[in-house]
Amino acid sequence: MTMKLAEALKVIQSALSDAPRLEVALLCGFTPLHLKTFLRAHLCKLFPGRSPNVQTGLFGDLIGNLQRVAGVSAAAVVIEWPDLDPRLGLRRLGGWEPSQLQDILGEVNRSCDLLQTSLAAVARSTPLVVCFPTLPLVPVSFSPLARASEFTLELRSRVASLSAALSHLADVRIVDPQRLDALSLSRRLDVNSDLSAGFPYTLSHASALAEVLAVLVLNPQPKKGLITDLDDTLWRGILGEVGVQGISWDLDNHSQIHALYQQLLHSLAASGTLIAVASRSDRSLVEEAFAARDPILREADVFPFEVHWGAKSESVARILGAWNISAEDVVCVDDSPMDLAEIKGAHPGAECVLFPRENPQAAYELLERLRDWFGKGKISQEDGLRAASLRANAELQHGIKQESPGASSDFVRQIDGKLTLSSQKQPLDSRSLELVNKTNQFNLNGRRYQEAEWQNWLNAPDAVFVAASYRDKYGPLGKIAVIAGDLLNGVNVNGVNSDSSGKRRLCIRTWVMSCRAFSRLIEYECIRWLFDKLDVEELEFDFLPTARNTPMQNFLQEVRNAPPEPHCRLSRAQFLKSCPTSSHVVEESPNG
Amino acid sequence: MDELESRLVNCFATAFPELDPQEIPSVSMASLASWDSLAGITLLSLIEEEFSISISPDDAAGFVSFELILNHLRLSPEAAK
Repeated sequence: MTMKLAEALKVIQSALSDAPRLEVALLCGFTPLHLKTFLRAHLCKLFPGRSPNVQTGLFGDLIGNLQRVAGVSAAAVVIEWPDLDPRLGLRRLGGWEPSQLQDILGEVNRSCDLLQTSLAAVARSTPLVVCFPTLPLVPVSFSPLARASEFTLELRSRVASLSAALSHLADVRIVDPQRLDALSLSRRLDVNSDLSAGFPYTLSHASALAEVLAVLVLNPQPKKGLITDLDDTLWRGILGEVGVQGISWDLDNHSQIHALYQQLLHSLAASGTLIAVASRSDRSLVEEAFAARDPILREADVFPFEVHWGAKSESVARILGAWNISAEDVVCVDDSPMDLAEIKGAHPGAECVLFPRENPQAAYELLERLRDWFGKGKISQEDGLRAASLRANAELQHGIKQESPGASSDFVRQIDGKLTLSSQKQPLDSRSLELVNKTNQFNLNGRRYQEAEWQNWLNAPDAVFVAASYRDKYGPLGKIAVIAGDLLNGVNVNGVNSDSSGKRRLCIRTWVMSCRAFSRLIEYECIRWLFDKLDVEELEFDFLPTARNTPMQNFLQEVRNAPPEPHCRLSRAQFLKSCPTSSHVVEESPNG
Repeated sequence: MDELESRLVNCFATAFPELDPQEIPSVSMASLASWDSLAGITLLSLIEEEFSISISPDDAAGFVSFELILNHLRLSPEAAK
C-alpha cells in the first residue's frame, strides 16, 4: 500500500523543523511536483531525527541539473524517456515516422554517453541514486503493441548498458525495476498531468518510486546475523522422530522450499552474514545429520550451534554473546509461533519471523524479505572473514580464561598479533564508513555519518583519519578500527596546530572498533601510535555515553583512571603510566 | 456541513495548513495568496485522490474557489459515492 498524497503532506507538515537539515537533490527533466512531496515525506519517515529538504532543478535540463548539484548529502536522479530524446515524450512534436527511428536511436546513444559522463562526475563527490525510465514507451514504433520491435529492444538495451556501467561506480545505487514493479502495480503514466503540468506520473507511481528512492538514499545497514531453527525450518521433518534419513529438502518429498532456504542461508554466510542454529534437539543427531546428509547450508557456515532442550531465548542470548552483537541486529526464523514469542519476550529487539512450512509461496516471500534485510551493495574482504574470526575469537577468549587473572596481556603477546595502520584519506573507503555507522559497543559517541558529510570532513586539511587492520595466529580480522579527528586550530610560533597551552593536541571525534577485535589490547596500540606518529602531547575525546558503548566507557575509565566525560583528555604521560607494554607488531600501510 | 463538504474541507486543510478550518468554505484563489498554480495542482490532486475522480483540464480551469469546487463535486455521481 503506497503512501497517499494527503498523508505525505501531513507527514511533511508534522516533521520537526528545528532538527538538523538533510539536503537531498531530486534531479529530473520533468516537473518534480508530487514526486518531490512524496520523496520528502518518505525521507521524513526514514530519517526521524533530521529535517529533510528536497532541492530540485530546472525543467527539461537534466544534464544542467546534474552539473549544478552541490552541497547535498545525496542526489536522486530520475531519468525518463524524453531525457534521452524529447521525441520519446508527450510534450514535444518531433515526429514518430519510421524513417526517424534510427535518428532517435542515435540521439539516445549520445544522451546516454553524456549522462554517463555527467553522472560519473557527480558520483565522485555525492552519493547518487539513479532510476532509469519507469514509464511505458510512447507508441513511436510501427509494430503492434504486443510485438517488441527492433527499435524498442535496441533502445532498452542501450539504457540497460548505461545502467550496468554506472552500477560499477562506488556510491551509485541503481533502482531495481523489479522492486519498483512490486510496489507500483497500477497505471504509471498520467497523460493529463503530463500535458497540463509537465508531471508524467500518477500519484500511486510517484509514491512508489519515491519510497524506493528514499530507501536507497538511506542505504540502510543490513542486519548482522540470522538464527535459524532446524526441524521443519532448515529441513522438513522432526529429526528426533523421523531420524537422519527421514528429513528432507528436495522436490521428491515436496520439501524443495527448505532447500531454497538452505541455499539462501549458504549464500548469506558467504556474503558475511552470521548464521547460527538454535534448535531443541539432540546434539549428536544434529551432528550426524550434517555429516551424513550434506545439507546445502554447511556446518562450517554455522557458528555457534545451540542444540539442546533448554529455552530458545537462552540459546539466542548465548549466540548474541558469541557474536557480540545486540538483538536489534538479528533475525530469528522458526516454524514455532510459541518459540518465536518466547524469544521475542526475552529479546524484544530481535526480528522474529515464522517459517511457513505448509505454504511454499509464503516461504518464498520470506526468502525475499531475508535477502532484503541482509542485502548489501558490495561484499568486502571483511565479510569473508567474519564467521571465521568469530570462531577464532571464541578460541582466543577460551585461551585468555585459561590464564591466571591479570595475565591477559602476557597471553596476547603469544598470539603473534600484527596491526596495520593506514592514514590514507582518499579515495573514500566504504568499509571504514560502514564500520563507523555499524559499530555500537566500542564507539566513542554513536555518531553516524552520510557519505558526503564524512568525505567533506576528511577532506579538511587538519582532519586526521586512521584505519586499522589486524591479524594474528588465529587468522585475519580485516579492517577492525577507525579513528578520525581534528588537529585543533591555534597556531604557535612554530606554525604547528596547538591549543592555548602550546601543546599539540588531537581531538578524536570518531573512534570505533569491531567487537571481533576485543581482548587483544588493540585500543592501546592505536593510542600509542597516535602519540608517536602525530607527535601530539594530548588527546581529547569527543565522548558521549550511549546505551551500548559500555566497552568504550570502560576503556576510557581504565586508561585515564577517571570516569569518562564529554571532551575528556589524555596526556602522553598519563597514557604511558597506564598502558600495558606493546603486544603486537605495528606497521603502516600507505594504501588503506 | 454534509460528508462531501467535510471531505473537501479536509483536502483544503491539507493543501493549505495555515488556514483556519472555519475560513475554508469562503476561500477563493483571489482571497488566498498561497493558492498559486503549484498549490492549485496539489489541491486538485488531493481532491482526485480523496474522491477517486479524474478532473478534466477544462473543469480544473474553473476550480477557483471552495464553493465552485463543492458545486462541481455535488454534480459528480462518482464524487458523491
